[in-house]
Amino acid sequence: MTNASEVLSSIQSAFPGAVLDSRVESDRRLWATIDSKKILDVCKHLTNKLNFDHYSGSAGVDWIARNEMEVVEIMASHGAHKVVAMLKVKTPRENPSVKSLANLYWNANWYEREIWEMFGINFEGHPGLYPLLLSDQLIGSWPWRKDFKGYPDLTTGERAVAITTPEGYTEYRFPPTPAEVEAGAVVAERPKYPTFREREEREIKSDSEMIMHLGPQHAMVPGPFLLDVLVEGERVKKGFLDVGYIHKGIEKIMENRTWLQGIVYTDRMCYVASLSNNECYCGAVEKILGLEVPERAQYIRVILEELSRIQSHLIGTGEFLTLVAGVGYAPWQYMIIDRERIISLIESVTGARLTHTFVRFGGVRNDLPDDFAEKCKSTLPYIKSRINEFIELFAQDAIYQKRMENVGVLSAEDAKRVGIAGPALRASGVAYDMRVEDPILVYPDLDFKVIVGTKGDCADRVDCRLREILESIYIIEQCLDRIPAGPIKPEAKIPKKVPAGEAYYRVEDPRGEMGMYVISDGGDKPYRVKVRGPFYATLQTLPPLLEGVYIADVVAIAGSMDGCPSEADR
Amino acid sequence: MLKRKMIKNFGWPLKTAMREIEVTRLYPEVMMELPENERGIHELDATTCIGCASCARVCPNSCIEMVHFKYGNPLKNKKMQFPQVDYGRCMFCGLCVDECPVECLKMGKKVTMAGWEREDIIKGPDFLATKRFSAKEVADLEAEAKRIAAEKAAAKKAAAKEKPAKEGTAAGNAKKKADAKPKEGGAA
Repeated sequence: MTNASEVLSSIQSAFPGAVLDSRVESDRRLWATIDSKKILDVCKHLTNKLNFDHYSGSAGVDWIARNEMEVVEIMASHGAHKVVAMLKVKTPRENPSVKSLANLYWNANWYEREIWEMFGINFEGHPGLYPLLLSDQLIGSWPWRKDFKGYPDLTTGERAVAITTPEGYTEYRFPPTPAEVEAGAVVAERPKYPTFREREEREIKSDSEMIMHLGPQHAMVPGPFLLDVLVEGERVKKGFLDVGYIHKGIEKIMENRTWLQGIVYTDRMCYVASLSNNECYCGAVEKILGLEVPERAQYIRVILEELSRIQSHLIGTGEFLTLVAGVGYAPWQYMIIDRERIISLIESVTGARLTHTFVRFGGVRNDLPDDFAEKCKSTLPYIKSRINEFIELFAQDAIYQKRMENVGVLSAEDAKRVGIAGPALRASGVAYDMRVEDPILVYPDLDFKVIVGTKGDCADRVDCRLREILESIYIIEQCLDRIPAGPIKPEAKIPKKVPAGEAYYRVEDPRGEMGMYVISDGGDKPYRVKVRGPFYATLQTLPPLLEGVYIADVVAIAGSMDGCPSEADR
Repeated sequence: MLKRKMIKNFGWPLKTAMREIEVTRLYPEVMMELPENERGIHELDATTCIGCASCARVCPNSCIEMVHFKYGNPLKNKKMQFPQVDYGRCMFCGLCVDECPVECLKMGKKVTMAGWEREDIIKGPDFLATKRFSAKEVADLEAEAKRIAAEKAAAKKAAAKEKPAKEGTAAGNAKKKADAKPKEGGAA
């Protein structure tokens, strides 16, 4: 079994002098600052020699006091070992530029585009550094840098100039100040990037091809994102994705809120998974604070997170089934009725139906009510019998099978390469579950299986979710048997200021791997919070999956991913 | 059987249109039973609130404002400041309840708060207070507060009169400190 210090010594021996600074936090976490010239070679070495085949994401950090920028590459492995390597690359704040990993890892593409548009860090060798989340007007103002003053500029009120367009809309422009132009800090003429529409229209090669829009408002998508498909006849030749319609800038908002207030914002990233988002943020902060969670609180968290997983899978599957003909509309209604029971169970503990704000640093907000175990004992067997019914129902339905089986097949190798997450990855046969890979709370003591599929088609993805519900019920039953009495909060008061430090914490969201990278500079607010969302990774894999399928299958494939654009656009 | 039921159902709109004007019907017809932990509209215990404004400080949407309210406890809450919640912005996260040092702010099971105007959903302590003093009790407490304040003032005066004997040493200490400070500054 590889551990973090072995990985570090392997890098040091292969590239002497490449590791500028390093810290082995535990067996599973390695923090290393890598020479920016050698980052590509180090990553190649990690992937080829040490089985780091999962590029998990990257984060940009603006260290304005040190006058430098940092890109943190998060590398992990699909089950070969459990080390997460956080590789930092530093670059000066003037003309920041680092080497792109997009040619090495396919899924680095979106992460680097996001960092580029938010921080203005250039990625050398990136295949298409185009705006991803921001609107065209904001490109070039680098909104997540620490010296960004707002849009329009709220401090001077002069820099942003309002212009009324001939159509009657008001637009804002930021003309650079003469001093800035002289210093070369800003590009005087904002570079013109081809828009999304222009980029996709470039791909039309003949008269027989056309572009079909699915979204931003479409029955298939649970939130707004634009999926355009280039079709020739009935076949899709290429897919294009445009996201950012509901970009809220939650990571930036959390920099301006106190540590405690940040919990509220994690709820709003994805409301059907708000408990696991809470857990992820609080877990990261607990790591920096060095807090121990009382055992009873750990059990309560696990019970509620599993309940939350059940309700998320029920609504995700139900919503999806309304899209594919066959079993039709009925299962959606059955599932939403069943979900109501789970929601009331959660509500009886947290007091809210969806946005729970329940997990606290070092504990939870409320204790379980007295009749909770009783209620669970009447509800869970019922849900179990219903899920078994659903599985049987889908196995019998011929139309459902025709629409779902062997559609949108993702092989295990491809799924690993494109960095897809959660049940969609496990349906391809890769047993990659954060509850096992990066165990938190009391998960190591519990007995459960990681559900994997065989084929990786749409039917498998739905099946995986339904069988995961059964597994979650089993986990909750174990927890209810074992839960000890005791405190639910730490005795000591949680300080308002969190000591300087950084932590990366991963949980298994209903949609897959959710990680949060939290940096504290010793103040009462986070210095930087980076959310590595599961659906962001899944969404990115849609265009290659759609190539060559029928138009009718697009809905089945995109819907079976169980999306939450709100979380991708966070 | 089925036909009779259908005719009966068709009769519904006619019946309601003729007899009564119902704007909306409750569905389900019986209100759902809410759990004990429900986070609904706040309940303020005005008799114990100390007006520290920690609820207003922790609110992520800054929807809590401290306003004047008559029926509180002037002994504990000298400026008589109590929370007023803007329910147009409140997201019912419950951080204010957790933060309250005297546990006078709770969240109850009441959830309806609709109003015709934007101002209608800004609820002051008058609406939120479930426990409050009557006007007479407040007057008594105010008299008590005045009496205590007067006593304190008298005690202060008495102390000031007694002080001169001790003051010499105290002033001496202060002088010494004042002398010491510049030296420290100079050394640094």
